[in-house]
Amino acid sequence: MSVSNMPALQLREYLERLPGTTFRKLYQQPSTAFAIFRRMLPHLAKTFVMRMLFMPAPMLLADLDLWVKPDAKKQKDQALFILQALHIVHISPPSREKPQEMQLTTNFKNSMRRALTGGGTHNSFGVPSTLVVPPEIDIPFLDRYARKKWEDILHFVVSSVGFKSAGEVSGPNKSVKELLIAGRLVERRPNGSIGITQTGFTFLLQEANAQVWTLLLLWLEAMETNKMAGLEAVDMLSFLFVLASMELGRAYDTNALTEQRRNMLPSLVDFGLIHVPHHKRSMFFPTRLATTLTSSGNSLRSISEGVAAATSAAFNGTSSSGGPPGHGPLKSSTELKGSVVVETNYRLYAYTQSTLQIAVLALFSKLNMRFPDMVAGRLTRASIRQAIQFGITADQIISYLAAHAHEQMHRTAALTNKPILPPTVVDQIRLWQLENERMKTTGGFLFKDFEDQKEYLAVAQFAEEVGVLVWRNDKTGMFFASRHEQIRDLLRNRKKAE
Amino acid sequence: MPRAIRGVLIECDPSIKSIIVNIDSKNHDFIIEDLDEERVVVKENMVGELKRRLEDRLKENLPPVEESGSE
Repeated sequence: MSVSNMPALQLREYLERLPGTTFRKLYQQPSTAFAIFRRMLPHLAKTFVMRMLFMPAPMLLADLDLWVKPDAKKQKDQALFILQALHIVHISPPSREKPQEMQLTTNFKNSMRRALTGGGTHNSFGVPSTLVVPPEIDIPFLDRYARKKWEDILHFVVSSVGFKSAGEVSGPNKSVKELLIAGRLVERRPNGSIGITQTGFTFLLQEANAQVWTLLLLWLEAMETNKMAGLEAVDMLSFLFVLASMELGRAYDTNALTEQRRNMLPSLVDFGLIHVPHHKRSMFFPTRLATTLTSSGNSLRSISEGVAAATSAAFNGTSSSGGPPGHGPLKSSTELKGSVVVETNYRLYAYTQSTLQIAVLALFSKLNMRFPDMVAGRLTRASIRQAIQFGITADQIISYLAAHAHEQMHRTAALTNKPILPPTVVDQIRLWQLENERMKTTGGFLFKDFEDQKEYLAVAQFAEEVGVLVWRNDKTGMFFASRHEQIRDLLRNRKKAE
Repeated sequence: MPRAIRGVLIECDPSIKSIIVNIDSKNHDFIIEDLDEERVVVKENMVGELKRRLEDRLKENLPPVEESGSE
């Protein structure tokens, strides 16, 4: 299922589609080069970049083998592929006269050096405002503000599911709503109401950071098709990276921005990425949503925790402590008190008032009673089936229930030394999924008609090494791969070498 | 020259696979390559339609079990 899309991956997919010229422009900014280095690269690729950063001349590609242990060839190839896809490394095409050379692309190299060693007046990490900061704007205030904004957006996405809370929620700005519709997270139904789509569900279950990127990429794409706004996607993207490198709780100077970037501010306010005080329009504060945009990829939380974080925001909206910095845009699930009780007879009770959490529960259970501080329902074959059709997996449902299990469930489990959720229910949810998923589908490419067995074996072997091989049959000389770019390059190189 | 064909790999039980082959046999507009007992490669744009038709077939043969138990 597409739910496993990590934000880094989504951003990477977007970036990989950009042409080389766009990258050259992006890498003019030290903050962008640094953010991409920090967020998008696996550790081995980072090591390569750091080693090559201050080399005066290109190095031989063959020399790279000296750096990498032979058994890590797969990781090396993957690292090189990413570095090339992001136009960080340039490798000269193979030819008979000269051995292949590799070097960092000029702009990336220069910007990365400047980011690390300082110097220059690029202002690429933002210009702090010199004005007096209003005392009421502190980190807890910004967190509350960002959470409220983001919650409004999430509420809008789920509002079509079951339980409405009219009047309670103000809803996001009109432009944001339109963006969500354009991105097909929600769609207008024939009767004029707004309904959630499968993409919307996936979005909802994503970790908050991933949600922010999803929305921002939608925004960038919308801007590209709508040139009238006078905004250029490349510059917008660089500005997002600038925001990500700013410091939470600090005021930055609006006047130091180019006009184009100033025009972006209203939308960023709508998303809750920045806050502009009413009486001091010349300064803006990045919120946690913005400053964690490029937090390292491995601090990502699981999907259930993502939901937990999203729902916890609504759940204890009043008791905001801010949390330690760098801890994700919203609260982590450890701060959330569990509220869901699941019984062996598939009944489900949730002690909550949060409409967001109720809406999430309604995705996969049949809720039939609602009390002032509690909802009751059942997990049924039909309700699980419906959830699976929306693109939610059984494992997601189970981990959501486990993560939100009521304290009493934990206590009983500890006493009787049993798992938190009743095993019968867990198994049944999985069985219901199997019943509905009779086939496993993998998109990709079928490779066939190789000249001879030798060629087939070499290419299939390569596909396995770079980790794109899904299935192979040596007898018929065919294999199936999830991506084709690397294999295409290999075939081309083989042809040239002949 | 080797060829790369875009498609979707479907892995399933032999019984399901035989239904897929049967659905395809009418117009031959789904399957790109029949790989083995449990695998076929299908045209990318036809996967949704195939799933729908498969669902219909299965419904004909085994009607979904009615929910029992009180609310």
